[in-house]
Amino acid sequence: MTALIELASLTKRYGAITALDGVTAAFDGKIIGLLGPNGAGKSTLLKCLLGLLPYHGHARVLGLEAAADGAEIRDRVGYMPEQEAFLSGMSAVELCTYAGELSGLPRTEAMQRAHAALYYAGLEEKRYQPIDGYSTGMKQRVKLAQALVHDPEILFLDEPTNGLDPQSREEMLHLIVDLPERRGCAIVLSTHLLPDVDRVCDRAVIMHRGAVRFAGTIDELRGARGRDSELFVSVKADAARLAEVLTAAGATCTVSSPIALQVDLPAGATSQLVFATARAHGLQIRELGVRRESVEAAFLRVLGDDGARHSDAPYRTAPGAGGRR
Amino acid sequence: MSTGQIHDLGYKRYVGSRRSVGTRWRVIMRHQIATAWRGWWRFKMWLVAALITTASIGAVLYFMHDRVLKVLGGVGGQAVVKFADGLVPFSTVFYCKVGFAVSLTVSATLVASDLQSGAFTFYFARSARPVDYILGKLAGLAVLMAVIMAVGPLLLAGVRLGLADDLDQLITLLPMLGKELAVGVVGTLIYAVVPLGFSALTDNKRHALALWAAYYIVVGSMAGGVAYATTPAVAAIDLPACLHTISLHLYDQRFGGARSPDIPTAAALISVFGHVAAAIAVVFWRVRRAQQTGVGGAS
Repeated sequence: MTALIELASLTKRYGAITALDGVTAAFDGKIIGLLGPNGAGKSTLLKCLLGLLPYHGHARVLGLEAAADGAEIRDRVGYMPEQEAFLSGMSAVELCTYAGELSGLPRTEAMQRAHAALYYAGLEEKRYQPIDGYSTGMKQRVKLAQALVHDPEILFLDEPTNGLDPQSREEMLHLIVDLPERRGCAIVLSTHLLPDVDRVCDRAVIMHRGAVRFAGTIDELRGARGRDSELFVSVKADAARLAEVLTAAGATCTVSSPIALQVDLPAGATSQLVFATARAHGLQIRELGVRRESVEAAFLRVLGDDGARHSDAPYRTAPGAGGRR
Repeated sequence: MSTGQIHDLGYKRYVGSRRSVGTRWRVIMRHQIATAWRGWWRFKMWLVAALITTASIGAVLYFMHDRVLKVLGGVGGQAVVKFADGLVPFSTVFYCKVGFAVSLTVSATLVASDLQSGAFTFYFARSARPVDYILGKLAGLAVLMAVIMAVGPLLLAGVRLGLADDLDQLITLLPMLGKELAVGVVGTLIYAVVPLGFSALTDNKRHALALWAAYYIVVGSMAGGVAYATTPAVAAIDLPACLHTISLHLYDQRFGGARSPDIPTAAALISVFGHVAAAIAVVFWRVRRAQQTGVGGAS
């Protein structure tokens, strides 16, 4: 079966700068998070996939080679840009109708779908007003609607929750989750907000320095640290004592407070080891759970040494965001 | 979870055929015309001005066609031209003024405005190509400008034909329609394409407007002045003077004037088509660049 996006030895150079360095990967899934620091090659990859830049190697979208079939790909892909991309003086309905026509839809069909897409995006009666007077949240909705209007099979969303207040962000994420279910389109979500990825994506692609450092499911991204063998344990008292006896049993423990510790079980062991050891030494377990690494932590781990440098600036926790744990 | 409610009017996949990529320029052309038509000041006001110009010249032509047209300064020794024969080619002077006004409100800011608003991302994330954008915009502007620069003079030529003394004269005058059409096409090129080129020189629409106005008014006038001191061909930088020269050449007339020394017709044609070619090259360069940098941000 053909993957949504297939890259084979994809290379793109701007003079002496290599933006994409022989990338070979295949992406599939419902909602794919495209992550990477600034300059990682995400934008160049998007441009290559849309057939806007010449490149060496192969970049296929929906089985079509981007260099040769760029126009057809753009008819079948929707793109929601990060920056404003409106035509001044137009209402949302006019803009979306125009977008539909530019994607090859007949005018009547484009107009009908423009109304439906704007209604879906939550603009309702305001769709008749000029976009120039819209709030940031409304503009984001228009951008989503214009990307949807021509019935795309894949949606590229570039920072769709940027600049949104917590409620608008929630609503946008709700729409993003709903889209694949209702419309059957896949989503490539390029964002700096890792909690958004954690929340809505089923797969992630991490790019760095023109290469794909990781491509897989979110659970795979969490990798070894997401295994059931990594636990957090709360005790009634004396976490240090429990750590000591568990270490003697082969586990690796980190005491995080007098009543809490993190436990990496030895190979083949289960949580029963913790219960049995605690019982044997008269210690009472209050809480035990599988320790899940956040996407932020996993992302920084994938970036390796460079991750520390990127840990504070571009990747951040969104206001009011609570990542999946 | 989200507090937002999802509204769906009953989503259905689009199963119909899509129009071929080669038709995108027509969508852009239609949009360009519709945008210019919206509001009063962009185009409608100047259309009314062109109508008033046509009606006024037509009235003068009708009531004074037998009188001798007084040529400004009488340069060239061909002063004895009747209104009936001289007014139609001379009318380009008036249409140029209206054409310039339309170029300021419709075409001189077009590419810069699209660069400023991020419209290229909107266009090129779809199957529109730079050539579709340029062709669509040019075709849209050409339709608008032709209404000003070609339809009015053609109507005047029609009035002149109506004033023919007999059938023989009517047949003799028939080529006038072709001449006015040619003048209209050249005028349309000047006022649709050249300002579009200026609009692609910068990504600020106010700067683009100022550049075009300054080039048209200041540089054009200066060229006329320099031409008197050097060679008349220098005045070919002045685009309305070029159009006037071409128009008069078609009628085998020479008027001259303070702002238009006798520009050689070849120089006028080279200037017009040189300006047009340069403008298209600048627009293509700018739009192609915008296509590659506009989508997905700059790398």
